[in-house]
Amino acid sequence: MKQEVLKAFDLPWLPVIALVLFVTSFVLYTWWTYRATNKSHYEQAGNIPLDDKDIA
Amino acid sequence: MSSENRSAVRTGTPEKFSYDDQIVKLFVIATLVWGVVALLLGVTIAFQLADFRLNFGLPWITFGRLRPLHTNAAIFAFCGNAIFAGIYYSHQRLLKARLFSDTLSKIHFWGWQLIIVSAALTLPFGITTGKEYAELEWPIDIAITVIWVVFAVNFFGTIIRRRERHIYVAIWFYIATILTVAVLHIVNSLEIPVSLTKSYSLYAGVQDALVQWWYGHNAVAFFLTTPFLGLMYYFVPKAVNRPVYSYRLSIIHFWSLTFIYIWAGPHHLLYTTLPEWAQTLGMIFSVMLWMPSWGGMINGLMTLRGVWSKVRTEPSVRFMATALTFYGMATFEGPLLSIKSVNSIAHFTDWIPGHVHSGTIGWNYMLIAGMLFYLVPKLWNSELYSKKLAHQQFWFATIGLVLYIISMWVAGITQSLMWRAMDDAGKLIYPNFIETVVKIVPMYWVRAIGGTMVLISFIMMVYNLWKTAKAGKKTDVVVYEAYPLHASHVEEGATSHRKLEGWPMIFAALSLIAILVGSAIEIIPSLMADQYVVKVSAIKPYSPLELLGRDVYIKEGCYLCHSQTVRPMPHEVVRYGKASNAAEFVYDHPFQWGSKRTGPDLARIGGKYPHMWHYKHFYEPREVTAGSIMPRYVWLFDQKIHYKDLPTKMRVMQQLGVPYTDEEVLKSVETAQLQAKGIADELAQSGVPAKVAEMDIVSLIAYIQRIGMDYTSMPDEEIATEGK
Repeated sequence: MKQEVLKAFDLPWLPVIALVLFVTSFVLYTWWTYRATNKSHYEQAGNIPLDDKDIA
Repeated sequence: MSSENRSAVRTGTPEKFSYDDQIVKLFVIATLVWGVVALLLGVTIAFQLADFRLNFGLPWITFGRLRPLHTNAAIFAFCGNAIFAGIYYSHQRLLKARLFSDTLSKIHFWGWQLIIVSAALTLPFGITTGKEYAELEWPIDIAITVIWVVFAVNFFGTIIRRRERHIYVAIWFYIATILTVAVLHIVNSLEIPVSLTKSYSLYAGVQDALVQWWYGHNAVAFFLTTPFLGLMYYFVPKAVNRPVYSYRLSIIHFWSLTFIYIWAGPHHLLYTTLPEWAQTLGMIFSVMLWMPSWGGMINGLMTLRGVWSKVRTEPSVRFMATALTFYGMATFEGPLLSIKSVNSIAHFTDWIPGHVHSGTIGWNYMLIAGMLFYLVPKLWNSELYSKKLAHQQFWFATIGLVLYIISMWVAGITQSLMWRAMDDAGKLIYPNFIETVVKIVPMYWVRAIGGTMVLISFIMMVYNLWKTAKAGKKTDVVVYEAYPLHASHVEEGATSHRKLEGWPMIFAALSLIAILVGSAIEIIPSLMADQYVVKVSAIKPYSPLELLGRDVYIKEGCYLCHSQTVRPMPHEVVRYGKASNAAEFVYDHPFQWGSKRTGPDLARIGGKYPHMWHYKHFYEPREVTAGSIMPRYVWLFDQKIHYKDLPTKMRVMQQLGVPYTDEEVLKSVETAQLQAKGIADELAQSGVPAKVAEMDIVSLIAYIQRIGMDYTSMPDEEIATEGK
C-alpha cells in the first residue's frame, strides 16, 4: 500500500529544489565565512561576550 | 584590543546605561522551582512504571495524566524559564542595551508562570489535546502565543536599541528559536474548540501525525537545542574568559543546523503509513544533522583549550563541559536512531526515552547548572556557597543519568528483540506481549533509582544556590558605558554578509526562510493528502458513543503507552494483524498512533476480546493479564458518560470534514445511549449491574471494540480494487 501511495505522489521536484537550495546556500556561506579578508572581522566578533566592563 | 577597534569607527559621545537583572533573577528562581517539580514528576512516573500500585487508583495522579505534566514541566517550565533567564542576561550584554521594556519583561515572566500553572491545573484532570508535547488546550495555546509575541517584541526591540553593531552568533540562535517556535506552535495548535476545555485538531490521521512530529521533533530542535547553543556560545566563553574557539565555525554551525534540523521530523514516523519519500528524506537529513551538531560540540569544547584545569576546579565549567559531551553523545545517537534499520529495533521501545533523557538531563540540565553556577554569584553579588557540594551534585547527576540511559538501552533492546523473535515456522517465540514487559521491569527500577539520584542532585544545587544568594551583598545599580550606534547601523565599506549580520530583521527573515524551506517540503504534500491517501468506502466515522469513548481514551493518556499503528514487518503483522493503511485514519482528529509501546499496539484490538474482558481489564488489569503493569481505571466505573457536549462535538467533526449527517447529529445522544445499552446488556449476562450503561467505561469499551474493525473486515482484494 505504501508503494501505491508513493506512485500517487507527484511533487518530486519539491524535495529536489529544497536540496539544491541547501547545497547552494551551504557552499556560499562556507566560502564567504572562510574568506581570508573576513578573518579579522570574525575574530573581533568572537570577543564581544568578553567586552562588557562596567564603569562603576 | 578588539573593543577599541570596533569603537574606532563610531562617532558621538559614549552613553551610560544599566541592565535589567531583576527579571533575570526572577527567571532564575522560577527555573529552580519548576526544575524540582519537573524532576519530582519524572521520578514519580518512573516508579509508577516499576510498580503499578503507585498509581493509587486515583485519576489525577495516574501515569497517563502525570506523564504529560512531567514533559510539559521539564520542557516549558524548567528549560523555558532557564532559556529566558539566560537570554535576557546575555542579550543585554551582547547588545550593550537594557531590555526594550521592563513592563514587557514582567508581563513575559508572570504570563509564562500563569501558563505553567494552567498546565498544572488542567493536565492532571485529563484536559488535554492528546498530542504529545502539545497537550495544552486551546485557551492556553492562545496565551502561549500572546506571551511569545511579548517576548519577541521585547527581544527585537532590544536589538533595535543596541549599541553593538555586530549581532553575536548567540543572538542568531535566539532569533531562530523565537521565529521557529512561533511557526511550530501556531501550525500544530490549529484546532476547533468544542468547549473551553475541549477541542479537536484541524488535521487527521497521516496529516496530523506529520504535523505533530514536525512540531515534536522541532520542539526538541528549537526549544531544547538552538536556544541552549546560543547560551553555550555566550556562557562558555564567559566562564573561561576566552573567546569561542572558532567564530567562523559557529556561523557554519548556525546556518547548517537551522537549515537541516527542520527536515528531520519524519524519522519519528519510519515504517508508518507516512509516504516513503518523506521517511527517507527525514532519515537522510537526520544523519546529515550529525555534522553541524558535532561542529558545535567541538567548537564549545575547544573553547576550553588551555584552561582544561577549570573543568576540575570550577563547577560552572565542569557542568558546561559535561553538557557539551552529552550533547555530542545525544546528537550521535539521534542520527543513529533515525537510520531505518536501527529505528526498526529502537522505535516504540524504552531506548527512545533513554535517548531523550541523555539530551534533557545530560545536555539541558547540565548546561543550565553550569549557567546558574556562573549567574547566581554575579546576580546576587556573592561567592558560590560550596564548590564541594557542587562537585557532589555533579557526580550524583552523572551517575544517576548513566543508570537511566543504560537501563533504558538494555530494556529497549531486550524488548525489541523479544518482540521480533520468530522460529523457523514463522511463529512468534514470545506471542504474549506481557512476557516482554515482565522481563524489563527490573530495568524500570534501575531507571527510577537513577532518576531519583538526578532529583537529589538538583535539590543539592537549589540548596547551594539558595545559600549563595542569601549571602549576597546589596550593591548600587552597575552603570555601563558604550558608544551609540552609527546612524547607518552598518560599518562603512563593509561587504554584504557583514552588513547582513547588522540588519537584524533581514537576518531574521533569512533564518525564517531557512526553516520554512525544510518545512514546506514536508508540510505541503501532507496538506495535499487527497492526492495520495486512497479513500476506502468501508472506513466509516465513529459512532456517537465511540466518539465519546475516544475522548476518554485521549483524556486518560492511553496513547502514552499504546500505539495504534502496525508497521509492515513480519513480526508485527503476525503479532497484531494487517499492517496499517493511511486510509484507516482519515477521521482521527487527532491521530493516536503514539510513540511508545509500554503495552501492546491497539490498532487491531477491535473485536479481539469480548466486552467483559475489557470490563475486567480496566477494573483490574491483573485479573485478565497476569503481570500487567497497567494502572487500574476504577473511576471510569463511577463517572457518568458526558452526553451534553456530544452534538457540539459532532458538529465540530462535521466542520472538519467527517461526514456525519445533520440527522445523525440531532439523534446523537439517543443513538449513543442505545449503543451503550447494547453493551451493558451483554455485560449483564455476566452479572454486571445494568447501571453500567451510564458510565464512561462503556463508551471506552465501545471505542476500543471499534478500533481497526472497518479495515480488518475488508478483504484484501476489495482494498486493492478501491485503491485503483
